[in-house]
Amino acid sequence: MAAAAAGPGGGSDFSDLREIKKQLLSVAERSRERGLQHSGKWASELAFALEPLPLGDLPPPPPLTEEDARDLDAYTLAKSYFDLKEYDRAAYFLRGCKSQKAYFLYMYSRYLSGEKKKDDETVDSLGPLEKGQVKNEALRELRVELSKKHKARELDGFGLYLYGVVLRKLDLVKEAIDVFVEAAHVLPLHWGAWLELCNLITDKEMLKFLSLPDTWMKEFFLAHIYTELQLIEEALQKYQSLIDAGFSKSTYIISQIAVAYHNIRDIDKALSIFNELRKQDPYRIENMDTFSNLLYVRSMKPELSYLAHNLCEIDKYRVETCCVIGNYYSLRSQHEKAALYFQRALKLNPRYLGAWTLMGHEYMEMKNTSAAIQAYRHAIEVNKRDYRAWYGLGQTYEILKMPFYCLYYYRRAHQLRPNDSRMLVALGECYEKLNQLVEAKKCYWRAYAVGDVEKMALVKLAKLHEQLNESEQAAQCYIKYIQDIYSCGEIVEHLEVSTAFRYLAQYYFKCKLWDEASACAQKCCAFNDTREEGKALLRQILQLRNQGENSSTEISASFFLPASLSANNTPTRRVSPLNLSSVTP
Amino acid sequence: MASVHESLYFNPMMTNGVVHANVFGIKDWVTPYKMALLVLLSELGRAGAQLGLLERRRLNRLLLPLLQGPDMSLSRLRKAIEESCPNLASSVHIRIKLMAEGELKDMEQFFDDLSDSFTGTEPEVHKTSVVGLFLRHMILAYNKLSFSQVYKLYTALQQYFQNDEKKNGIDETDMELTNTDELEGKMEKEELDIPLREEEISCGGPLSQKQAEYFLSQQASLLKNDETKALTPAALQKELNNLLKFNPDFAEAHYLSYLNSLRVQDVFSSTHSLLHYFDRLILTGAESKSNGDEGYGRSLRYAALNLAALHCRFGHYQQAELALQEAIRIAQESNDHVCLQHCLSWLYILEQQSSDSCVLLEHSVKKAVHFGLPYLASLGIQSLVQQRAFAGKTANKLMDALKDSDLLHWKHSLSELIDISIAQKTAIWRLYGRSTMALQQAQTLLSMNSLESVNVGVQQNNTESFAVVLCHLAELHAEQGYFAAASEILKHLKERFPPNSQHSQLWMLFDQKIQFDRAMNDGRYHIADSLVAGITALNSIEGVYRKAIVLKAQNQMSEAHKLLQKLLTHCQKIKNTEMVISVLLSTAELYWRSSCHTIALPVLLQALALSREYSLQYLASETVLNLAFSQLILGIPEQALNILHMAIEPILAHGAVLDKGCAMFLVAKCQVASATSYTPQKKAEALESAILNLNEAKVYFVKVDCREQLRDVLYFQARLFHTLGRMQERNKCAMLFRQLHQELPAHGVPLINAFK
Repeated sequence: MAAAAAGPGGGSDFSDLREIKKQLLSVAERSRERGLQHSGKWASELAFALEPLPLGDLPPPPPLTEEDARDLDAYTLAKSYFDLKEYDRAAYFLRGCKSQKAYFLYMYSRYLSGEKKKDDETVDSLGPLEKGQVKNEALRELRVELSKKHKARELDGFGLYLYGVVLRKLDLVKEAIDVFVEAAHVLPLHWGAWLELCNLITDKEMLKFLSLPDTWMKEFFLAHIYTELQLIEEALQKYQSLIDAGFSKSTYIISQIAVAYHNIRDIDKALSIFNELRKQDPYRIENMDTFSNLLYVRSMKPELSYLAHNLCEIDKYRVETCCVIGNYYSLRSQHEKAALYFQRALKLNPRYLGAWTLMGHEYMEMKNTSAAIQAYRHAIEVNKRDYRAWYGLGQTYEILKMPFYCLYYYRRAHQLRPNDSRMLVALGECYEKLNQLVEAKKCYWRAYAVGDVEKMALVKLAKLHEQLNESEQAAQCYIKYIQDIYSCGEIVEHLEVSTAFRYLAQYYFKCKLWDEASACAQKCCAFNDTREEGKALLRQILQLRNQGENSSTEISASFFLPASLSANNTPTRRVSPLNLSSVTP
Repeated sequence: MASVHESLYFNPMMTNGVVHANVFGIKDWVTPYKMALLVLLSELGRAGAQLGLLERRRLNRLLLPLLQGPDMSLSRLRKAIEESCPNLASSVHIRIKLMAEGELKDMEQFFDDLSDSFTGTEPEVHKTSVVGLFLRHMILAYNKLSFSQVYKLYTALQQYFQNDEKKNGIDETDMELTNTDELEGKMEKEELDIPLREEEISCGGPLSQKQAEYFLSQQASLLKNDETKALTPAALQKELNNLLKFNPDFAEAHYLSYLNSLRVQDVFSSTHSLLHYFDRLILTGAESKSNGDEGYGRSLRYAALNLAALHCRFGHYQQAELALQEAIRIAQESNDHVCLQHCLSWLYILEQQSSDSCVLLEHSVKKAVHFGLPYLASLGIQSLVQQRAFAGKTANKLMDALKDSDLLHWKHSLSELIDISIAQKTAIWRLYGRSTMALQQAQTLLSMNSLESVNVGVQQNNTESFAVVLCHLAELHAEQGYFAAASEILKHLKERFPPNSQHSQLWMLFDQKIQFDRAMNDGRYHIADSLVAGITALNSIEGVYRKAIVLKAQNQMSEAHKLLQKLLTHCQKIKNTEMVISVLLSTAELYWRSSCHTIALPVLLQALALSREYSLQYLASETVLNLAFSQLILGIPEQALNILHMAIEPILAHGAVLDKGCAMFLVAKCQVASATSYTPQKKAEALESAILNLNEAKVYFVKVDCREQLRDVLYFQARLFHTLGRMQERNKCAMLFRQLHQELPAHGVPLINAFK
């Protein structure tokens, strides 16, 4: 404990939680001094999750240097202006300051002033074409000054972070990544730099080629980026190990886990975690939009309503709040109002991705397809990887009865989520409509293979086989489907179960497998729509049995009854790679 | 409820959650350039009577393009005004200078004064005139500006003025700047300036609405008419990305980006751009029609149709068909006959890949005329003519049809189609073997003033039809032995259609064909062989044919025969009659080279029948030549002479020089052969005339530099002189023959047996 003195680092092991807590507390303080509220908040939240320190162990305030002392007055004054969002004023009083802290605040307030002006300007620009031109004028100057300092190696961790942000805003992504990596090396404790890095890394390959500092912060970063890159398994593993290391009380980790479960559509787990989170942190607004999505999917009206009212009381002008309310109205089928709230969310934060897609969904519900298309297109413009928007576009065109046209959109969605059965089923349906049955079969089979959410792929596949007179395969599919439904445990009202039994009954009947046929026919009688047919079939079987009692004694044992469902001797076909890319642009 | 819904109706101008002022339908915005125009107008009013009549007239003519055109820099505006009235230009400049260097108050005062021109008993400007409307628009737009916007406008004006000043005095300031900066600082400055400078070169930063529209339409028309003058694909894409960054709602830019991607054969991004364009368009379509549904459905149909076209361009015929079916279905559901017509035309193009589809096309033409779609109709007629020409329909009907469609073109000024029609006529005349007519048509197109050039000032001369015509012209010249002229034309083609532009493949093929022919004439078979690969890459059938010819010339008869047989069956399958006949001729030649004249005869007769049926006159006469030769060898020279008389005329009139030479040579041979039974007196006469004919043949062969043939002619002539006892001439011919014979390798076939 004593050995690990001040100065961050110390390997990626979590054996020394007290040291970690000390580091967190000190970095939270240093972030706050520089006006980096979010990093400060993150560090403090995490620190809060750990055991409190005794007085003697508390980190000492950072030592003041000669320069700090000289700039202290200007800094104090400027910091208060900064806190009051008077950035220009703060920058004015800080000019010429040499100490690291004051210099950072100087540059940062210039940056923020530029950003604020940019946002203000977008509202009243001179013409429709001018709005794109509005940019942060300060960025170029900041880049020149910071790059000079960077070359001279005079920037500390915070300075590097700011330099990286400036570069990113200028769309110099490659340079920005390098600078952020450097920032993470110099000051690994600053979460902001890691978070920016997360936003810039687009795939796993990129991640592999980064040389990151080997600290415990890296674990948090990896977990976060795995979530971002939809590598949910890895992310969950990381988070679990973090919890095991002693961060079990951290609301940040809990919320991240919940989001991860949401991403893999493990709704029940995600819901229970969110409920837990709300108990621990009842006034939390972050991530509540995700929570409301979950509630929406499960159609839990009272819970969603409670959440909406609660959040509205806490702060009604937050993006998340608007989103929750939008979801609430949508669930109540008041789609106009829902769209209004999503629009409000976008007004509050134009960069809030999800709202465009959700608005698109609302317009779809309102049958306003053109508006829906626009909304989805906007969503894609903001984030090309938004698979929901691509899927939504596909759906829109499907509603407009353009199955070929929508193929492109579904394909895009499928590329982004290769293991999501919904896109595959949608693709399959389109191919079916286009009468491209081979492709359709491939899609359905693949959808089943990757784990069908709606359990419809098999039925559709079976029907296709039925259509193509491939009765053997059709029967196999129905058997698998029934197995799936029953092994699920919960008896869901599934319309197609009766169809499956009816087909199987007839199939066995044709194969002269009387036992199986009559078993299936009996099952048929349990459903309203097939009862009569089942009874008729049973009578026929009885008749034929009596006639050919002695001839059909050698029943092949390879067929098994769907009723004896525990048997898992279904031939498991290997999943063939999906080959739809004949013309996939 | 209804009102709530309306207010919620999605607003296209709302981007990033911010509603833009354009909702109010204001298209005009006050920009510094427009203010300069306003100053010009007020100066005009002030100058009033002082202006001369001529100056007034010129200024008035200048005003309209200025009002409607894109924004331009102050110096350019000044220059434009100076050309018509120098005094006014300087006073405008001074007033803008005063305003820009003064205070905000000056600008406000200026706008306040503007509306004065409407007042008074005899106002200077009429309220509903073009100028009046512009003034009122501007005043209204100005009055709508908020305080900060007014201030911004003023700073923009100052910048507009200062930028102009800076440009004038750029030399002095530039020097100072570089001197004062220290080295490191300069480096960084440059480094930072580079991206900006590139932007400036291309379009001077972000564009205004009108500028953007102008840029797009200009580039699009250049892409269509004259690709070399358009920006390079990469530059254009950069430009478009820039444009879209500033205004993501500018849907047309996506379409241009689609066209641009087509240029570089990029399936992925062209699909992406096309779909994006239509996603955007769907809304604007809905907006333009108040009832919404009509315009909206329309763009949906065309979206599917365009997708079909895209797939067709990339050769994804199955995909194209699916997309087309979709377009047809939607169009049928909404009773859109015009769209259906377009679909039908595309259906024809798709069906062309698989089967004979004249019926579709005829139907399409009829309907298109009915619905008043001249472009589609005459395009249909042209395709129909093309198909009929290949199918061997009579020429007069085809020409009649083309004439009819020409009438349509001139009536509707479809200059593009006029060009195509002339190019097609050239091609058809060539197909029929009427080189003079083809030449005439080609020249017509080349020396014709395009309609477009009158309209827009864009020379419409780099379209496909021009490429086709020029290629034909080059080949025609090469046939007549004017190789220098041909290569000159090809050089021109190379300049006009650089190697990676859309139509470059055409001239590449023709270039190689001409080179191949020359190499064959010279007897440099190895060179010809090396060209075969290139030809095959561009046109596989032609390549195989040429390969067979080279093999034949190299005396590899069985290989050549195998290849020709394969080609024959293939061409018969795809109904390429022209090639079938050529192949038959080559096969016959193979036979008589192997001295199997009796086998060659039926092949030749088949070729003759085919070429007569499809009225391919040139091929017919060539077949006759071959036939005559076979008859000569079979010992019936009189018969041969008889049928030669039939063929000689068209060959001399339209044939290539080489063929003319061969024909004359053959005539001479037949004359000599038939003279054996004559009386000595008559025989001498016949031989004399044969010598004359040989002389003519010699001239032709010299023209195309065909030395092998020349050697044969000389030998033959020497023999004739010998028979006639004219020793001196005989010796001369013999000497020339010997010279050539030493240079050239020996023949594989006995002399008398060779005809070509």
